[in-house]
Amino acid sequence: MPLIINRQLQNVDPWTRLQSVEGESLSWPETKALISGTDWPTWAARCPAKLELGVSITADTTLEDLTPWLDRLSLIEICFEVFRDGRGFSLARLLRRAGYQGELRAAGDVGQDRLAYLERCGFNAFVLPEGRDPLQALAAFEQIQVHYQGAADDPRPIYRQEA
Amino acid sequence: MYQYTQVDQQIVNERVEEFRDQTRRYLAGELSADEFLALRLMNGLYIQRQAPMLRVAIPYGLTSAQQMRKLAHIARTYDQGYGHFTTRTNLQFNWPKLEEVPDILAELAEVQMHAIQTSGNCIRNTTTDHFAGVIEGEIEDPRPWCEIIRQWSTLHPEFAYLPRKFKIAVTGSQQDRAASQVHDIGLHLVKNAAGELGFEVLVGGGLGRTPVIGKVIREFLPALDLLSYLDAILRVYNLKGRRDNKYKARIKILVESLGIEAFRELVEAEWQFTRDTELKLTHAEVERVKAHFTPFAYAADAAEDTRLAQHLAEDEAFKIWYERNTRAHKVPGYRCVMVSLKPQLGAPGDITALQMEVVADLAEAYSFAEIRSTHDQNLLLADVRQADLYQVWQTLSEHNLARANINTLTDMIVCPGFDFCALANAKTLNIADAINAEFEDLDYLYDLGDIQLNMSGCINACGHHHVGHIGILGVDKKGEDWYQITLGGSAREDASLGKVLGRSVAADEVPRVLRVILNTYVELRQPEESFLECVRRVGLTPFKEKVYAADH
Repeated sequence: MPLIINRQLQNVDPWTRLQSVEGESLSWPETKALISGTDWPTWAARCPAKLELGVSITADTTLEDLTPWLDRLSLIEICFEVFRDGRGFSLARLLRRAGYQGELRAAGDVGQDRLAYLERCGFNAFVLPEGRDPLQALAAFEQIQVHYQGAADDPRPIYRQEA
Repeated sequence: MYQYTQVDQQIVNERVEEFRDQTRRYLAGELSADEFLALRLMNGLYIQRQAPMLRVAIPYGLTSAQQMRKLAHIARTYDQGYGHFTTRTNLQFNWPKLEEVPDILAELAEVQMHAIQTSGNCIRNTTTDHFAGVIEGEIEDPRPWCEIIRQWSTLHPEFAYLPRKFKIAVTGSQQDRAASQVHDIGLHLVKNAAGELGFEVLVGGGLGRTPVIGKVIREFLPALDLLSYLDAILRVYNLKGRRDNKYKARIKILVESLGIEAFRELVEAEWQFTRDTELKLTHAEVERVKAHFTPFAYAADAAEDTRLAQHLAEDEAFKIWYERNTRAHKVPGYRCVMVSLKPQLGAPGDITALQMEVVADLAEAYSFAEIRSTHDQNLLLADVRQADLYQVWQTLSEHNLARANINTLTDMIVCPGFDFCALANAKTLNIADAINAEFEDLDYLYDLGDIQLNMSGCINACGHHHVGHIGILGVDKKGEDWYQITLGGSAREDASLGKVLGRSVAADEVPRVLRVILNTYVELRQPEESFLECVRRVGLTPFKEKVYAADH
């Protein structure tokens, strides 16, 4: 699946995905471990300190769930199970407001028509569904070039920028 | 009125091109129907029973003569020569071709118009009092605040995929002509004890299948905190509103389930993070927007005119129209002219291309080139010199725009119903026709006084039936159209939800039942008592007994 980070198409994803399965332990990779599954806090607590840690969550996860981990995490992936579910937009903003500076990835039902909005809400990485044209997606960031309102990218509304 | 800056124009132009690309990808099979649906709705495009329907935004109901001419041009070129005004003061075209919609949007952009967020689960067109800025006793003109909300909410990156649609209304006086209490957010301009300007904020009102009157979440919000507070409400809603059932997804359901106190706590807690950030409005920005809404250069000698008095004395038809379809203006010598889109024959709110041009010409000649569309699906020429009223009336009459029925029974709010709408269960336009035929006698209507009749073709309540003094709701019973009647609703400052009269009645029974209801009112009313006051005083029982008497 095409991966875009900071508006650059990536050839490889350096993260190793670890799906927790009940009753089985995870085998940790060399460097970057991306954990998914509802029991991610359990595994996050066991993750060797030398590894970079990431979690893949859905919008059912709240800021409060993530707050204790923000300093430890270098990747948070928010998975949009259906594109209509806009909670991830607000969760991203809350995470950035809470000071999280690591990679914030949007995954799941991420169409090109939402990329620019997602980016404005604080996402800097995007996993596109299989079959989507990554070059067309890259162009989509530029379709609307001016914005009235502030957001995570720039908190100033347009009228404060002109001043 | 507000004039676009380069930034405003660029945003609209870029959105047109983005939508052109989205349409192209959909037609090329690159974009799924489901995904395109969400994108096209956010740009006002529905696929209806017979054809696509494009809803053009008319922010807070204000258009220029030039814009109205453009709408006429679009109606002729891309549609079947007419449009339909809605309760959100927008204009709908019923017959555009999907592949031509990008071109229509490009034409709109030429006159600073668009269709952004006229549908979809996002923040919709903000509405207000159609008498904003021209009535006596206003606290402040609400339109600059509507424009500020328009800009903030346009292509908002965080609030484009809300649980459900989101509607905001603003009022600037004690009177509420914007149905603000049945909006997701109602904003009332107020002054506090210190004389500072702010808003009383209501949240969680709405119609649809669960009608609710909004609740006060904040009695006084300092005016410059408007956007940060809206932002806080929207963020709480976006995160916590239900998404599992579209009929329980509006903010009213969240507010009801949490209770207003708990909801308020969440909003206030969120607001603490943002109230003193860049979301706070600046005086300079408020003044910049307000400068677009300064009063016109009214003629100082307008009240010295004597022609009006003469015409009133000489022409009875003109006098009747003057009394029923014009309203006081705060400037002596001026009147507000209601343009009735409720003719004897024709769908309420419909307007032909020629009529649009006629209104545009009149606005240009007599009303500072501006036109307003109203919540009750009429138009308004807000600033007409009294000396010009006779000429305006004559022209409106020639074009079937002067039926002297404003605020009477036949000034109905009606959704397009089953004839056009894919959601509707029952027809509405045939019932409106039947009501117009039954209650043709204007003297009878004048004797009845102000009556608001609202009709919807389904439970989604686009015709606001719950808040009509008389509400009619079309329901489908085994393939036949039946109509449920409610009495006692109001969308005004004394907002209330109508109560169901009894079992629904067949389509051909509706005029007779209305006749019985009105006769009952005439029998029971006290001197000067309006229909609504009477229903509130006596309750539904006497009406019920008369209407269903034949059943016993």
